[in-house]
Amino acid sequence: MRNVISLLMPRLWSFRNSLLKGDSRDRWVRLTLFGSIGLLFWGGTFAIFFRVLTYFQSVEGFGDILANKLLSMVIMTFFALLIFSSIVTSLSKFYLSRDLVLVHSLPVTPGKIFLARWIETTIDSSWMVIVYSLPVFLSYGVVYKAGPFYYGILSLAILPLCLIASGISALFVVLTALLLPAGRLRTVFVLFGFSIFVVLLIAFRLMRPEQLVNPDAFASLVLYFKSLETPSSALLPTTWVYDSIRAALTGSPERTFFHLGLSWSFSFALIYTTTWLAGKAYFQGYSKSQTSQERLFKSRVFSGSRENILLRFLSGPTRALITKEVKTFYRDQTQWPQVFLIVALIAVYLYNFSVLPLEQTPIKTVYLQNIISFLNMGLSAFVLTAVAARFVFPAVSIEGDAFWIVKSAPVSIRIFLWIKFFVYYLPLLALAEILIVLTNILLQVTPFMMGLSVITIFLMVPGVVAMGVGLGAIYPDFQSENPAQSVTSFGGLLFMILCAFFIGAVIILEAGPVYQLFMADLHGRSLSTLQWIWVIVSFSAVIVLCALALLIPMRIGARRLAE
Amino acid sequence: MMGGVLAPTEGTVWIDGINIALDPAAAKRRIGFIPDRPYLYEKLTGMEFMRFSADLYGLKDVNFPQRARQLLNQFSLDGWADKLIEAYSHGMKQRLIFSAALLHEPTVVIVDEPMVGLDPAGIRLVKEILRGLADGGTTIFMSTHTLEIAEDICDRIGIIQEGKLIALGTTADLKRAARSQEADLEEIFLALTGGKNLP
Repeated sequence: MRNVISLLMPRLWSFRNSLLKGDSRDRWVRLTLFGSIGLLFWGGTFAIFFRVLTYFQSVEGFGDILANKLLSMVIMTFFALLIFSSIVTSLSKFYLSRDLVLVHSLPVTPGKIFLARWIETTIDSSWMVIVYSLPVFLSYGVVYKAGPFYYGILSLAILPLCLIASGISALFVVLTALLLPAGRLRTVFVLFGFSIFVVLLIAFRLMRPEQLVNPDAFASLVLYFKSLETPSSALLPTTWVYDSIRAALTGSPERTFFHLGLSWSFSFALIYTTTWLAGKAYFQGYSKSQTSQERLFKSRVFSGSRENILLRFLSGPTRALITKEVKTFYRDQTQWPQVFLIVALIAVYLYNFSVLPLEQTPIKTVYLQNIISFLNMGLSAFVLTAVAARFVFPAVSIEGDAFWIVKSAPVSIRIFLWIKFFVYYLPLLALAEILIVLTNILLQVTPFMMGLSVITIFLMVPGVVAMGVGLGAIYPDFQSENPAQSVTSFGGLLFMILCAFFIGAVIILEAGPVYQLFMADLHGRSLSTLQWIWVIVSFSAVIVLCALALLIPMRIGARRLAE
Repeated sequence: MMGGVLAPTEGTVWIDGINIALDPAAAKRRIGFIPDRPYLYEKLTGMEFMRFSADLYGLKDVNFPQRARQLLNQFSLDGWADKLIEAYSHGMKQRLIFSAALLHEPTVVIVDEPMVGLDPAGIRLVKEILRGLADGGTTIFMSTHTLEIAEDICDRIGIIQEGKLIALGTTADLKRAARSQEADLEEIFLALTGGKNLP
């Protein structure tokens, strides 16, 4: 066991050192920012579940059935999330981390290396699920007025769920890695995981859950759940966890401890079996992963001539950097599932607009269509921000250890950043404009709103992309094993927050004048001089704001990166 | 710092008569920079990386194919030109960096620990190429901890200790400075640095 603890120490020391490094003011800013956002989500989850459970309680006769069904679904969802997260984390921890070469050269058995890595995997893949499952279980405790016994039992019930998910995932990964090299396995899992998510997302949306607010539909839903009131399989770990929480909620210690006993005894048995099997099989799989190519699909390598014809009018450095950027992107197969996911989300976004029940509202349709169209400019810009956070913000960090090539090349950092900007700006502009035009067509808005939306998005896209490139250059992470995750870093969050302020400011600046113009157009009257001044000042302010959002981050980013 | 990767805290770097702080692009265009660790764009092929370097350093399109093939051939990479760099060994990546750095016929080559990761044949090849370039008038600036290599191929050797240049000259000059005509470079180095191990 001493060896296992020794293997875990570098991680603990690195964590401690990262907490201690940097000046304390910077640390406080980060802590406050992350803390506030985390607390906001935490509080939001609690509020939503509290509201839903209180509402269920008011449904005569079926309240408990619905609450139980929801609890069972929540536990099942957490378990699925834990399994997916554990598989992806354990693949990286067991087979793909950079420090594995060093670790495997140490005089420690593969079984102990596995155990140390498994403990890390379990903590890394579970902590967030535990933190965000707490408000759900707390809301049950509050609504059902549970005593201290329930709160004490909670941690004892959730912990085995994490251990079992992590144990099953590790066992699966270790055995599968014997058949398929870990690099390809990761691509398969990520593709598979995202495909399932996309299918579920589309299926859920096509069910049109908004119809449930209709009382007739809701009554039939209750009957449906009533018919599903059959107990889940007694062999499922989620059933044991559900039963122990449910028993603790109703204050039944015997049943609680019985189900807890099942969860814990299975956890221990699983850990023992997994560790024993991994002791025999892990090293073989690791060795295989080091000697096989990672690519799942064979790459097609084109000769350079075709791209050169398209880019011939550009200068040499610009052509070089654009070609490199595009090829690196499409040859990285881990990017593909995320592109599919974005396409699916956009399809759902558009579908939402096609099924908006505008005619059922008491507000006149023409107002509503145009109000939604106006707000849709902000929504589309937020969609754009999310896409930019995933692809544009890591654009500098993705250079990784090869950044020396750019630093030693006869191209200034400023030009390098502007090329990055244009590589992402053009496709994102096309995406945002297509999104806004299609939604406006679905909403059948006036030509004025259509023109306004197209121009506003045209002005906002450069700002969002520049903030992504600029902040990515101010907060680069060249050491990251997965730069795509840098969006969850301090710089990534700052980017999201600044974009939210920027989009909000543009929408607020335009709201008043647009209302005046729209109403004047609708009633066929002209604006007063004062109103015209207001319109001109507001739209000028929008243009200035967009220009500042474009230039300032790029300038600061270039300066910081050159340092 | 001389390659333009880091900014100096004081002093000026002149490359072929150009102040690198004032005109970095022009100075870098004259440099072939070879770092000690071969980090490259793994998703490009060897030939694509050569094309990338040619475009960055302003090599004319008409000269590129022949020059790239010649260099890849010289560094025994011709059979790997269309394979992704992620499939290359450490030594192959190092040789590709050499090929790309020499593509635009730099007047100054800055090379850090050139033999790391190379096999004996690769080491001999690199020595011959560097010697040949130096004889042809190219300035080669090499930093190394392998004193035998410095002794073998360098015309002038500088010894830096704790950030200060404590000796500079030909091997004969250094022998005189160390007051030992028979000693090899390792002994001279130890004598001049007071036998201290450098951190």
